[in-house]
Amino acid sequence: MSGEAIGLVGIIALFVLLMLRVPVAFAMFLVGFLGIWALNGWNAAMGLLSSETFTLASSPELVVVPLFILMGNVASATGMSRQLFNAAYAIVGHVRGGLASATVIGCGGFAALSGSSVASALTMGRVSLSEMERFKYDERLATGVVAAGGTLGILIPPSTGFVIFAILTEQSIGRLFLAGVLPGLLLLSAFVLAVTFLCWLRPGYGPPGPRTSTTEKLRALGGALPILAVIVVTIGGIYGGVFSPVEAAGVGAGFVIFYGTVTRQLSLSAFWQAARNSVVTTATVMLILIAAHMINPFLALSHIPSYVGEALVALDMPVLGTLLLILLMYLVLGCFLEGFAMLVLTLPIFFPVVLSLGIDPIWFGVLVVLTLEMGLVSPPVGINVFIVKSVAPKVSLANIFRGVFPFWIAMLVTLMILVAFPQVSLFLPNTMFN
Amino acid sequence: MLKTLRKWADRLIGLSANIGALGLMVEVVVILVDVTGRFFGKPLFGSQDMITMAMVILVFGAMALCDRNGGHIAVDLLEPYFPRWLNRIIDIGAALLGALIFVFVAWAIWESAKLSVMLNLSTNLLRLPKAWFQWALCGFAILTALGMLLRALELTVSRRDLRRETDTAL
Repeated sequence: MSGEAIGLVGIIALFVLLMLRVPVAFAMFLVGFLGIWALNGWNAAMGLLSSETFTLASSPELVVVPLFILMGNVASATGMSRQLFNAAYAIVGHVRGGLASATVIGCGGFAALSGSSVASALTMGRVSLSEMERFKYDERLATGVVAAGGTLGILIPPSTGFVIFAILTEQSIGRLFLAGVLPGLLLLSAFVLAVTFLCWLRPGYGPPGPRTSTTEKLRALGGALPILAVIVVTIGGIYGGVFSPVEAAGVGAGFVIFYGTVTRQLSLSAFWQAARNSVVTTATVMLILIAAHMINPFLALSHIPSYVGEALVALDMPVLGTLLLILLMYLVLGCFLEGFAMLVLTLPIFFPVVLSLGIDPIWFGVLVVLTLEMGLVSPPVGINVFIVKSVAPKVSLANIFRGVFPFWIAMLVTLMILVAFPQVSLFLPNTMFN
Repeated sequence: MLKTLRKWADRLIGLSANIGALGLMVEVVVILVDVTGRFFGKPLFGSQDMITMAMVILVFGAMALCDRNGGHIAVDLLEPYFPRWLNRIIDIGAALLGALIFVFVAWAIWESAKLSVMLNLSTNLLRLPKAWFQWALCGFAILTALGMLLRALELTVSRRDLRRETDTAL
């Protein structure tokens, strides 16, 4: 059997295993190991297994993953998410749809503490959904805004999605983090605009909350100062060249632990639980990454990525057309595959094509992470929607998906803006690193 | 019998996860000391060695708990359409496959550790023997494999899927 045929059999086997609900990491391990054995022999497969496992598990660049996850988990345990929501509510809560806008802003703030969309949706959902129910917000708007707002977690740095993209494509984590700042703020603004438009169209969707006094505003904003400090120290530290991303993650995690301890909002048991949850999440991510490093060499050896590249080139489309086609594939795949798994499965195929077309890899990274976000709220497997469902069990899944739809459109518009204006993504990394 | 095995397995899995969490704490402390020290012109010697080796412990220390709590990502799109017996067979098969993978990981790393001992491989600055951490990785991988085997056994014999029992999560 030729290398190409083995590659094709491998991809079909991988697809079948995934559809049979075999964990993504196990399926990639099995197909990658057997594929390399078939193409290069037993010793090559065993050698790769031992070297990739230990090298990735001890990779200094990947240390940011557990540290930023820990920072988010501890921030959540210390009630920082509520303080964020309160501050945003004090400013915009009195306008129509203000609670929903406050939720989006809170999600954006929490996203700067945590690299996980699921954590953002879960945390902000717990804080804001009961408030929106109290003020008789439409359940579709309330749940939709939490599910969509949560996705900001993987666009606004620190982002686990960017770290994985950086490791798989050998790009700078710092550059990617900075590239995510302006698109993240743009998307946040698009979400707020969507809320405003919906509430203008149907005033009953989001009744205004009571107006807060200046003292209450100042108190609420003061409560959010520690969060602002963490963001300035971590993201500002990377931007200013004071810290590497790993150091920024460590310092950020240390800061939230210190804050939680000093303010007595973090008990020892809550802290330890946050630490254990962080290492468990890290284990999930790392196992998939190790498995991806088993299957990627197999795909490369079978020449499948180069055939896909040749096929795309043979279409004779302009660069922008090819880019849009790739993004379209990501949008479709995002409906069926978990975002992170989709990233590790597709990047080895698409990324060489992107490079050969002269597309900026950092810009491409931002676009891919945004499509990944859209997958998090797309039916039928929008993970963030399921997370919101777990916090609001009385609301039907269909209604949550309906509620998410306007925000999905806002994401699509943002994606188009980012495609049309690469500078939005590239301005900060280029000014900082060039 | 199964209950006793589960009790002991859970204790070991909990201990392993605690060691992983301890590894994470080491990361945080080492980075803080290093950054603070650098501010005063005295960065922590060998911080990179400690950070990378602690990473091995934290990643694989938590692997058994990750599986025990059903933390591995899977595409469950077709699950509602499969008959119950097929879903059970898939669960058992996936657990056995996972166990096999982790046995292979342990075996491959064990062989690599033998080379590390022979060549006296160590970290760059602190000269921490690489084999220590490879053996630790092997131990955690074997524990994960045993946890998966026990889960497969429970699914086969008593049809118990503890990943769905959130109240018993460690």
